[in-house]
Amino acid sequence: MAFSNFFQWFLNIFGMKKEIRLGIYGSVNVGKTTLANRISKDWTGEEVGKVSQVPHETRFVQKKEKVLLKVNRKKIMINLLDMPGLATKIDYKTFLRYGFSKKAAKQRAKEATNGVIEAIKWLSNVDTVLAVMDATQDPLTQINITLLGNLEARNIPVIVVANKVDKKRADPDAIREAFPQYPVIEVSALKGKNMGGLYEAIAKHSRRAK
Amino acid sequence: MKFKMDFVSSVTLDEKTRDKRISFILSKVKDGTILVTDGVLKADEEMDLIKETMRRVDDGFPGIEVCSLKKQTKGMQSVLEKVTDQKERFQNLIFGLTGREESKTSLRTGLTLIGPAKYIKKIKKNPNSFSVMTEV
Repeated sequence: MAFSNFFQWFLNIFGMKKEIRLGIYGSVNVGKTTLANRISKDWTGEEVGKVSQVPHETRFVQKKEKVLLKVNRKKIMINLLDMPGLATKIDYKTFLRYGFSKKAAKQRAKEATNGVIEAIKWLSNVDTVLAVMDATQDPLTQINITLLGNLEARNIPVIVVANKVDKKRADPDAIREAFPQYPVIEVSALKGKNMGGLYEAIAKHSRRAK
Repeated sequence: MKFKMDFVSSVTLDEKTRDKRISFILSKVKDGTILVTDGVLKADEEMDLIKETMRRVDDGFPGIEVCSLKKQTKGMQSVLEKVTDQKERFQNLIFGLTGREESKTSLRTGLTLIGPAKYIKKIKKNPNSFSVMTEV
């Protein structure tokens, strides 16, 4: 692991990649898998994973490899990585409210904690990150701050995605005010709103491909 | 039900390596203590804290709530901070390759509150302050 970290660090200095590993990160239930599905369906016609209202539906890293984006005559090959939602707490009792048995709830919580660990480990192996935030929620959460601080420290290009802008309570400007130093793209992954704007941002801000 | 709050100076945390620092914080928080530290963990260290928290989650410990107020750095100070970060990152990669223990890293200027999620129900953060809602 240490050697692969060192190798990654060395490669990053030169910033040259054949394919871009595009990580989709964010808190739980902000619409990461909906976004991954939208991107994947737009370019390959296939979805990446199942979407659910139950928190921590994505408990394993879901991949869609060799997704070819064509933006303004530029071609970018991406490996799409839909990450489990980041969280500082996972209480199995939460799942009881969704009708899980105690045993199933505990199992899900266990898988969810492993998912968070897995997502954090993957931070060493992504080239560009879409930091997804729910535009109807307060963006100044410690998870968002820690995630963005981490990416900055690792020199990983990041695009903040203000998702769910189709909802009445959405306030993407609050995200811009909270994180003025990052490009913020408003989308509704569910409705497919402004996905073109997001693809242009990916082409503009991603670590350069060969 | 009672809960305990500990206020910890940056000196106490500065003298520990990253792993020991995280272990110190989590052992306190898992015992039900709300910890206020004079200093802010670096972003990657805070991510390690979350990772280690997840490893320790069990039926009685659903995790942590954490919030920090970091002094904003500007200009040359900010550049120096980034250079130091890269230096420490490189140093720790080399240490990892050679099997040596990680170096000690100092905390950033600021304030951090870390507590058990079973007591802290919500933290409302503003750029320069935060409010903590507890339920005991």
